[in-house]
Amino acid sequence: MESIIEVDRLNKQYKDTHAVKNVSFDVGQGEIFGFLGPNGAGKSTTINMICTMLAPTSGTITINGFDATVQRSKVRESIGIIFQENTLDEKLTAGENLMLHCRFYRVPKKKREERIQEVLQIVDLTESRNKKVETFSGGMKRRLEMARGLLHYPKVLFLDEPTVGLDPQTRAHMWEYILRLKRKEGITMFLTTHYLDEAEISDRIAIMNHGGIITIDSPAQLKKQVGGDIIELAAKDNDQAEVELKQYIEEGEIIRQEGTIQIKTADSDSIISGLMKELSVPITHLNIRKPTLNDVFLSFTGRDIEHSES
Amino acid sequence: MEGIFAIWQRDVIKFLRDRARLFGSFSMPILFLLIFGGGLSGTMEGLISETVPEGADFQYIQFVFPGIVAMTLLMTSVFSSLSIIEDRDFGYMKEILVSPVSRVSIAVGKMLGASTVACIQGVMMFLLIPFLGISYPLASIIQVIPFMFLLACALSSVGLLIASFLKSTQGFQLIVQLLVMPMVFLSGALFPVNNMPGWMDIVVKINPVTYGVDIMKKVMIDTQSLAPAIREAMGLNLTLFGRSITVAEEVLFMIGFTTILVLLATLSFRRTNA
Repeated sequence: MESIIEVDRLNKQYKDTHAVKNVSFDVGQGEIFGFLGPNGAGKSTTINMICTMLAPTSGTITINGFDATVQRSKVRESIGIIFQENTLDEKLTAGENLMLHCRFYRVPKKKREERIQEVLQIVDLTESRNKKVETFSGGMKRRLEMARGLLHYPKVLFLDEPTVGLDPQTRAHMWEYILRLKRKEGITMFLTTHYLDEAEISDRIAIMNHGGIITIDSPAQLKKQVGGDIIELAAKDNDQAEVELKQYIEEGEIIRQEGTIQIKTADSDSIISGLMKELSVPITHLNIRKPTLNDVFLSFTGRDIEHSES
Repeated sequence: MEGIFAIWQRDVIKFLRDRARLFGSFSMPILFLLIFGGGLSGTMEGLISETVPEGADFQYIQFVFPGIVAMTLLMTSVFSSLSIIEDRDFGYMKEILVSPVSRVSIAVGKMLGASTVACIQGVMMFLLIPFLGISYPLASIIQVIPFMFLLACALSSVGLLIASFLKSTQGFQLIVQLLVMPMVFLSGALFPVNNMPGWMDIVVKINPVTYGVDIMKKVMIDTQSLAPAIREAMGLNLTLFGRSITVAEEVLFMIGFTTILVLLATLSFRRTNA
């Protein structure tokens, strides 16, 4: 697979903090690349450097064959960004927002009308073209931002928490649109999200922590690395239970989380049957499941992503 | 060019849609017209007619009106540049900054947008002329518009530069108040600034409003046929380095002033947003 983004030994150093440390990775053409990490891991700093918004201290970034520190304008033409926060002009209509974007990105005059109609159709907003954005619902605004990000046919679309603040139904719709786009246009997507079930759609996921990339792999492989099953249990006295568990379980990892104790093990059957006999404190909750991306995240960063939101 | 046009167009469309802003910004100039036109004119006219023999039909408001239009330009220009801080607060600036539009184009587009808005407001002030009991030749009113636009450009670039290195609207309000009022008072817009003490005279001479107002008065009022004593009393003999300054020189000053400030604002954008 040909790479569209190449990041090589990227560093960002501020006066007293080393925010990004020697980060290197490639993103292939047409790939959905998930970028995860707890807050403060250096995700935003890395993305800002890739999007030409921040100058790196050292290292190189190549997007679509252009150097992101030198050929900024070329890089900017090659990428579309859907920001976490609203960046639409709410006093203008949807159509006006799109037309301005065409001008900023020098979309040829003859093609503007056609493209605006096309992207509005993709996100189902054709009817609302002449309405002011301030009258739109949260979901409509997100869809319009997505339409706008596509107007100049970017090679890479950056989606920074695209579904944050949306209700579950709208979230599901958003992902339908995103997948439809990937299939139809073959656009490369660079995705950050806090919802790990959403990161599942990525072809590969990079996990970042403390300024560096810890691992990059497909969701399936990552889950395999965690391995086995996860037993979740809660007891009347978790502290006591933890002490006893540590004595009794030989194979497996025990992680304490607020309210529950997690046991990662390859041999869940024998542990479960032993639990009942060995524990002196009554069990109030017991559950066995396959690892999720959240478990992957937890085992790599020691933090639970869904509880690390800002 | 396309980028400059887009940024300019956005600000102008938004202004024309905002009725409250369109009419609200007239309150201050009208207040000044009442005070200077109604209140002070009796005193000024009395003084002139006592000291100058030809001063019997002298109308003070005719002199102060161009100054009050210039004041409208100043306020609207500077406050319209505030939109750059709003754009940052409401996120739209990000959309512009990640696009291929160059930083110079952003600064120029914003400056031209604010200038156009200010110029529209300034021209709307002319609608008040019939109610003030004065008149200007129609030709000179049309002639003065390009000069008003030029003055607005110089003033918008002041607002732009301040907005480019400020983070919040509050800071902007404070600086503007510290700047706008002195720029009005030390320009000859409302009263003559012939005989200012040394340091104040320096402020008068680097203040673009001084030259803008001077051109506006030269174009709108038939200064050549006025008695020399009245011209002197009303501060119409503006001098720089001991000789009187021409319209061409004043135009050059404003163009230079605008260029320098826009470039400084561009540098300031680069610094904060790569």
